[in-house]
Amino acid sequence: MGRYILRRLLYAVPTLLGVTVVIFLMVRLIPGDPARLIAGLLATEEEVARLRVELGLHRPLHEQYLRFLGAALRGDLGISAATRTPVAAEIGSRLRATVTLAVTSTALATLFGLVAGIVSATTANSPLDYAVMVAALVGVSVPVFWLGIMLMLLFAVRLRWLPAGGYGGPAHLILPSLTLAAFSTAIIARMTRGSLLETLGMDFVRTARAKGLPPRQVVTRHALRNALIPVITVVGLQFGALLGGAVLTETTFAWPGIGRLLVSAITARDYPVIQGIVLLFALAFVLVNLTVDVLYAYVDPRIRYE
Amino acid sequence: MRGRLHGVLLLCVVLAALASPPAQAQAPPRTLRIAVGIDADTLDPAGQTTTTVANMVDYIYETLVAYDYRENRVVPHLATRWQVSRDGLTYTFTLRSGVRFHDGTPLTAEAVKFTLERLLDPRTRVPTRFLIDAIEEVQTPTPQTVRLVLSKPSPTLLTNLTYTTTAIISPTAAQRIGAANLTRDATGAGTGPYMFKEWVRGTHILVTRNPNYWGPRPVFEEVMFRIVPDAGAREAMLLAGDVHMAMLPPAPDVRRLREHPNVTMVVAPTDRIIFVAMNTQWGPFKDARVRQAMNYAVNKKAILSSVLFDLGTVADSPCPGMMFGHHPVQPGGWPFNPIKAKQLLREAGVGNGFEVTFLTPTGRYIQDFQFAQAIAAQLRNVGIRANVATMDWPSYVAEITQPPERTRLQMLVLGWAWVVLDCDGVLFGQFHSSQHPNRGLAPAFYRNARVDALLEEARTIVDQERRKALYREAQTIIWNEAPWIFLWTQKWYVATVKNLRGVSITPIEKWDAIHATWQ
Repeated sequence: MGRYILRRLLYAVPTLLGVTVVIFLMVRLIPGDPARLIAGLLATEEEVARLRVELGLHRPLHEQYLRFLGAALRGDLGISAATRTPVAAEIGSRLRATVTLAVTSTALATLFGLVAGIVSATTANSPLDYAVMVAALVGVSVPVFWLGIMLMLLFAVRLRWLPAGGYGGPAHLILPSLTLAAFSTAIIARMTRGSLLETLGMDFVRTARAKGLPPRQVVTRHALRNALIPVITVVGLQFGALLGGAVLTETTFAWPGIGRLLVSAITARDYPVIQGIVLLFALAFVLVNLTVDVLYAYVDPRIRYE
Repeated sequence: MRGRLHGVLLLCVVLAALASPPAQAQAPPRTLRIAVGIDADTLDPAGQTTTTVANMVDYIYETLVAYDYRENRVVPHLATRWQVSRDGLTYTFTLRSGVRFHDGTPLTAEAVKFTLERLLDPRTRVPTRFLIDAIEEVQTPTPQTVRLVLSKPSPTLLTNLTYTTTAIISPTAAQRIGAANLTRDATGAGTGPYMFKEWVRGTHILVTRNPNYWGPRPVFEEVMFRIVPDAGAREAMLLAGDVHMAMLPPAPDVRRLREHPNVTMVVAPTDRIIFVAMNTQWGPFKDARVRQAMNYAVNKKAILSSVLFDLGTVADSPCPGMMFGHHPVQPGGWPFNPIKAKQLLREAGVGNGFEVTFLTPTGRYIQDFQFAQAIAAQLRNVGIRANVATMDWPSYVAEITQPPERTRLQMLVLGWAWVVLDCDGVLFGQFHSSQHPNRGLAPAFYRNARVDALLEEARTIVDQERRKALYREAQTIIWNEAPWIFLWTQKWYVATVKNLRGVSITPIEKWDAIHATWQ
């Protein structure tokens, strides 16, 4: 198992390296002179030229890339062009908010999604099943920002139960994490339903039923464990997607996380910050995938460590 | 299914019944909370390029002189009086006595000298250095007197000194914080009615009342600027009572908010002029008759009321109304007259119309993408097929700063505002031939030797009556040659809770709430 994990970790290196190249080039190939943008529309040409040197934008591309990579390996992500603070510090100060949101949402989505999926599968083709699936359809179709504003209008403006936005106590966490969880909940519910239905039709389940086990035990002890294998993958992928979804949710709810930092960095063409955040997202994806693979191997003995 | 529908209806009724009653009059809150759309990039007055940020900085730092927008003149602030030499080359300011910075040190001529020399130093990043670059030397004849010696007469210097960029900084605080760190720390460094307390990135900036302030004492103990990027969320937070004031809620909601019992909409005209610049060196737009036809073909009034929710006033000149030197060339703007437009197009030899690429940003100006589509629809009526395209703001800036030989621009939406109210800002910046991209931001590539001469003279003489006459002639020429479709000057707005009184909007897109009261 240890060697398996180690090998998977080594595979991640070329992936991450490729990511750095892609990020680096993408950020620079979009039109727009970052020095001009940061200096402001009213700045003179000399101001812009000075800033270009200051940001290292006058160097050839490959040189800029090697400098970026070398520094990143030492944990130095550069200085934010817009605010003149170290990027690592900027990201660090926002990381907690985003991780809190993503973890809470994943937990909520997994819980609600599994319950809904199981209920749906065990009552397949009943009105309850249809209701759950319609709700799931709504969950995947509704845009995040719209759902966010609607929840805000209902719970903050109308009912005054919860704060409309911002960052603070647990109350502030409820609306954004529900908003963010909606899509994943729906996906997990549908996945669970499908997977469980398939498993319930398998021979070993029939055997379990035939030997007279109560239906609840057939589902929880026998079918569910097998049905969960593909669901784990989906949960893992959703955690990654949540980091991305956080961009919209954080903007809607004024949540001071990395997603919003990314949005403002893109608007300001703040190269170092964009690079740093996308690199972090890539790292998170790789780690989550690794965890999923390991869990997979643990849940399904058929998967070998070779 | 029917049962579920009833359930939803029932839920709605319950929610409506639960809705809380309007807030009663109450004691002022300790902290006034204001929702702004963007986080600060820098708190250093020298680095200011964004009005919202400058607005927050104004709570902490103060300038030598201020602008009274009602009286339309420069008034005393940290300086109580000033004298200008007859040749316009020396300005002598007498400082207000008894003013102390937040760090306890007194406001002296040395502090003013420190601030201005720091601004003039090329090592300091000052995007709007042009505001003060006429200053050659700063002298301090007495501890309470500052003398500015200019290299050339500058009719706008005094007004320029009212802008946030030139706010006076405590030299001792600057030394303690470190000049470079003034971008994120303003502790003790200003003289303003509020003192910097904390800045939590992405969340809020908090300032606290200055107990030793020289001027009138503000009502609120603290002011918190909450950073809320989403316009709909700002509105929801205001309605939920989380904040007392919200910058720019979504434009389509403004009419509804005006009628809301708990909300006051504060709306006022600004000096931001919105226009469609036509590339005067491209195809049909080389002919002034075509450009005039474009002005006749667009019904600005109709677009203002239907797409902009009346958040603008039709332009009557290239220079907005409240600016020094403004001359209303054609009250009410170019009339809407599609027949005349078609006739002019025929005279210019393009009676069958033509195709043109029409660029607009999205979300930069009020309803920009929406009104661009409305304009394109109206142009279609006279046979001009304008294809509306949009892009994000950074790419847009890149596109409009291409030099004439490389530009792809045919026509585009742009808004232009200046930090001080003088026609020089818009006329020189947009119509002097030296300002073509990429040296400037005049994407119409307009060129007229007479206009160039008028604008050059007007910015180097101090005789204000003569300047008015020069601007009058320049505005008339530009208006008739029509390098733009002249649209409107944009309004600026904030929504506040009913209890908050005395909030106003200045013509340079700032809000003024420092001395707001509570009822």
